[in-house]
Amino acid sequence: MKLTEDEIRKITLSAIEELGDKATPDNVKTIVKKAVESFDSSPSDIKMNESSGRAILTSFGINKPGIVASITKAISQCQCDIYDLSQKIMGDFFTMIMIVDLTNSPSDLKTVQEELAKVAEELKIKIYLQHEDVFRYMHRI
Amino acid sequence: MPYEFDEILETIRMTEVEHFDIRTVTLGISLRDCHDRNIEVTKQKIYDKIMKYGKNHVKYAREIEAKYGISIANKRISITPVSIPFDPFHAEEFIEIAKILDKAAEEIGIDYLAGYSALVQKGMTNGERELIQSIPYALASTKRVCSSVNIASTKAGINMDAILMMAEAIKKTAELTKDRDSIGCAKLVVFANAVEDNPFVAGAFHGVSEPEVTLNVGISGPGVVLDAIKEAGYCDTQGLAEVIKKTIFKITRAGELIGRKVAEKHGVPFGIVDVSLAPTPAEGDSIADILMAMGLEDVGGPGTTAALAMLNDSVKKAGLMASGVVGGMSGAFIPVSEDMGMIRAVENGNLTIEKLEAMTAVCSVGLDMIAVPGDTTASTIAGIIADEAAIGVINDKTTAVRIIPAYGKKEGESVDYGGLLGKAPIMSVKRISCEKFIGRGGRIPAPMRSLTN
Repeated sequence: MKLTEDEIRKITLSAIEELGDKATPDNVKTIVKKAVESFDSSPSDIKMNESSGRAILTSFGINKPGIVASITKAISQCQCDIYDLSQKIMGDFFTMIMIVDLTNSPSDLKTVQEELAKVAEELKIKIYLQHEDVFRYMHRI
Repeated sequence: MPYEFDEILETIRMTEVEHFDIRTVTLGISLRDCHDRNIEVTKQKIYDKIMKYGKNHVKYAREIEAKYGISIANKRISITPVSIPFDPFHAEEFIEIAKILDKAAEEIGIDYLAGYSALVQKGMTNGERELIQSIPYALASTKRVCSSVNIASTKAGINMDAILMMAEAIKKTAELTKDRDSIGCAKLVVFANAVEDNPFVAGAFHGVSEPEVTLNVGISGPGVVLDAIKEAGYCDTQGLAEVIKKTIFKITRAGELIGRKVAEKHGVPFGIVDVSLAPTPAEGDSIADILMAMGLEDVGGPGTTAALAMLNDSVKKAGLMASGVVGGMSGAFIPVSEDMGMIRAVENGNLTIEKLEAMTAVCSVGLDMIAVPGDTTASTIAGIIADEAAIGVINDKTTAVRIIPAYGKKEGESVDYGGLLGKAPIMSVKRISCEKFIGRGGRIPAPMRSLTN
């Protein structure tokens, strides 16, 4: 996340206020730099301006044993991380939503999609894998 | 989870079930540096320039489609209105240019390239006159080139001479393409207050104030709005406007994301998002169905204009909030042949040209994809264009006419193009003559509205 000039100015002013008499241009600079850096690395669930490396997997179909196993196996083979998972059975239907992190995966989204398409074909279920940005843009301002 | 279950399902439903798609990503390319005294050199320059920027257009769009799971229905290209950089040429040379444009479009793998255009709202240069005369032959000898001519604006008034020339060009185009149901006319638009960054073909062109190259996006999704209205059940009109706004807001956000990503891939500046509900002949992808879901028995009856006005306005407002760069067209398109519900209403006798004309005063464009009997005279067509231009000029909005005087056909028959262009039943036109009025020529002065400074 990027800080605006205004926000940095505010941080600087509060640093000067806290330091009181001890404030020198040099130590204010160090403190502000640290504050800005720590802000940059602070984890945030939803960042608007940057593209995340995550994708959302949605899967549904007639329930049968081994669906979750097959999907997670395919994902782990692509070295993707599962960030979150939610699964529900509605009557005969199986539904699953998963947030998958592809940042450290050697495969790109397309390759993972192709792998999952094979699983979907085998199990006769639907699997969609879409980049997280779509959901972020549609549902978060 | 950072997203609710419902939010995720809503996106999946929109993209997978309700046909929400990005209707078009249109790459605008300036051809202003492509002129040469030698037509062969000019043609080479045009071809090279379009290929330089456009050769990866389809590939990039496909990559983004796969990444985000949102389909991009059409990939297109718009160019500087051809009459501007190539003003010194004559009709035969303009036709040569159309052919090279067609070739470039084919090579890139796109279905339409638009911008065989002229802007003549106040008057015509020699080149513009030549271009208009060449339009029927250019459209008849190419498959992918689309043409548009702007004949009126709020600031300049209505160029009646140009309207008559265009009416004759439309008639000639219908005749030259008679073996394919006069399909040439489906690629020819007559505008008032044309928008310079419109991504929607056939009326797209890359305006003179546009940069070297830019990417504009057109979003659609009548199916999404239709389902949202159905789901909302009974609520008052204010509530209904809210439902439409919320839905459009979401699809505009997605559209802007896709547009920016395609532009990023090209390394070109992102232009605008045009949020227009544009129907397709697919079932459920119809503006008429939306109006009926709002409570009309059929399109064309009393109440239609009001319902359409509300729909159009809600679309604009939502687009405005969702994107920082909303295009000038945004609203609802009402092409007859491309909308199953409209076709049905015409066949039932519920929708007439006169009611459509009233609807165009509140929709985003105008009389679109309307087939009329082949023996409709040029002056009657000119009258229809002038009426439509008057609505645009007085209300300071874009209006357009894309009319097909189906050669050799009469009322009750239809023209069928298949694909996106669909099927148009031939509508009846009043036979009362306006020949003497149109024959006066000249220019209807700019209205009161133009004196804003």
